[in-house]
Amino acid sequence: MSNSDLDLISLVESKFGDKIQVQRNLLGAAAITANNGLHHDVVKALLEADEKTGVTSITGLDLGANLGVYYHIHTSKPFITIKAEVPKANPAIKTLIDIHPGAAFHEKEVADLVGVIFEGHATPGHFVLPETWPEGVFPLRKDVKATEVKPVPTPEREANVLPENQRLVKIIIGPQHPALLEPEKFSVTVEGETVTKVDPRIGYVHRGIEKSAESRTYLQDVYLVERVCGICNPCHAYGFVGAVEKILKADVPERAQYLRVIALELNRIHSHLLTLGHAGLEIGYETIFQYFWRDREPIMDLIELTSGNRVYGSLITIGGVRRDLNSTDIPKLKEGMKNLRNQLPFYNKIYREESTLRLRMVEVGVMSREDAIKLSVVGPVARGSNYDTDIRKDIPYEAYGEIPFKEIVYNTGDVWARMNVRLDEVEESINIIDYALDHLPSGPIKVDLPRAVPTGEAVCSLEAPRGELFYYVRSNGTDMPERVKIRTPTFANIPSFLKSAIGESIADVPSNFVSLDPCFSCTDR
Amino acid sequence: MTDTKTWARVKSPWVLHFNAGACNGCDIEIVALLTPKYDVERFGIKLEPSPRHADVLLVTGAVTHQCAERLKRVYDQMPQPKFVVAIGACACSGGVFEGNYSVLGGVDKVIPVTAYIPGCPPRPEAIIDGVVKLLNALNPPKIKKQKAEDKPDVTPAIEEVNVDVKQ
Repeated sequence: MSNSDLDLISLVESKFGDKIQVQRNLLGAAAITANNGLHHDVVKALLEADEKTGVTSITGLDLGANLGVYYHIHTSKPFITIKAEVPKANPAIKTLIDIHPGAAFHEKEVADLVGVIFEGHATPGHFVLPETWPEGVFPLRKDVKATEVKPVPTPEREANVLPENQRLVKIIIGPQHPALLEPEKFSVTVEGETVTKVDPRIGYVHRGIEKSAESRTYLQDVYLVERVCGICNPCHAYGFVGAVEKILKADVPERAQYLRVIALELNRIHSHLLTLGHAGLEIGYETIFQYFWRDREPIMDLIELTSGNRVYGSLITIGGVRRDLNSTDIPKLKEGMKNLRNQLPFYNKIYREESTLRLRMVEVGVMSREDAIKLSVVGPVARGSNYDTDIRKDIPYEAYGEIPFKEIVYNTGDVWARMNVRLDEVEESINIIDYALDHLPSGPIKVDLPRAVPTGEAVCSLEAPRGELFYYVRSNGTDMPERVKIRTPTFANIPSFLKSAIGESIADVPSNFVSLDPCFSCTDR
Repeated sequence: MTDTKTWARVKSPWVLHFNAGACNGCDIEIVALLTPKYDVERFGIKLEPSPRHADVLLVTGAVTHQCAERLKRVYDQMPQPKFVVAIGACACSGGVFEGNYSVLGGVDKVIPVTAYIPGCPPRPEAIIDGVVKLLNALNPPKIKKQKAEDKPDVTPAIEEVNVDVKQ
């Protein structure tokens, strides 16, 4: 921990004194217990002291008589968790949206799933739960047997003309729409061709993974959380495993750390190529889609080579990795990286110079750095707006601390910048894999760890292809976790789309939207 | 006329993809089918955005409560005859999400399913195999007739061989 980390926590300590309790090196750099509405003041103090402060996630927990509300706060360096508790009988707590608008989605989710009431932030209806879910039943509370809940009739469909103003028309995109691979609904209100408002309805892919993780063992959960998302599954596996290993205080062998980095970077390459191609499809440039997906297939073969399967390889497991690289695999990986590197100048030329592509991307969906920070945006979307946040650099995990690589930042904040961040990151990922293969340490690939995890809690953040992925795991001494909280990058990035789409043409909605690299199976869990 | 219709249906099935709460694993494999390595257009298969033009509905995912009504509506909008293919372990039976509060667990809980392609996710080759098997199962009479007509060309040769053996 550097001096600046200590400063921010010491500042909070000196400002609030005995009114808060600080436990260092728990749930990030420190866990601060701040009850009776003090959480609001602590976050305010942090926001004033550090411009990069934002809410990563809010975890709602059932602690018996009380409900816990944990605010996971990121600052320019340390990661801080602010713990607050409210009685179950009156679960009301002060909202944070007045000082940090980025907290809105997180508060809505906690209100829907755990039943915390945020004073000053109305959360009517359901947010992620289905429309047929009865009001007042909160699936993540321990006393609710979620499978026994009886659904209620669905409400009527919404009309697409707003009666109060005939000039405004609602265009409903989704849940089944050619531009969306996944079901999610966006009601876009337009005046003429200009977008005036976007209302999201998420939850079509909500499968209740956080609840079902509580009734499976840790090892089974690795396979369950991987299935949050079929694109960035090694990241989910690592997020969960990383948090569990922190509770177990496990030392993962160096070779396993390098193999994990290779798996995570191969995943980033395939995910970025997928999005760069998909963006072409959305703007009606199908040739580029076919080209990118053609070059993605050799990467899928390499993923199969290293993990055993194209999609769900389950390479990362508690204590290390399941498969080692042998001497014949390494030349194949190097060859694959070389071939992809040779293709990159061509793609760079297309993304930078091709006029049709620039027309659909340059100065579309512009988001300023201030907005990106205020909305707690993550990943390539943030880095396209000159907001330098990359967990691999900020809080290095596994072998990332030892591997040299560049953090890609663009400053125009438009769709074009976000796609170019991804394209440049593909090159960086190739460099990382090459370096990791050259410096692969010898030794074991796994340590044996006990199946039952001692009582404790931990957080794990990592840079998934779409941005920061966050896991919170709480254990109770058995072989099953008590609570698993997943905050995915798309969940954090949707508010940025809701803002940047306003005032633009309806025709720019798809290209703006795809620049987030949206993944709704992640968003809904 | 029926022969022509069946011929057209088997040679150029238009498929509609609906994600009913899947993790994206199967969905990305379906999209990969359209790209140069697998290229299902060689079977005349085309991904169609509108249910009203589609012959085959490819459904992925464990079917969440929120999606179920929509899945039924998409199915109802498709013209007859229509076929449903459940792709992936989740679409077949609920998979790893079976028993979760938010999922129904399987496409056949909502609409009738013609073919099941298991796997988590099934490999693109498996999806192609499943769809082609479905097309063959449509039992095109013309193809059968052709085989029957082909037979006479082959049988004399066998008879000759038989005769040789007897001698």
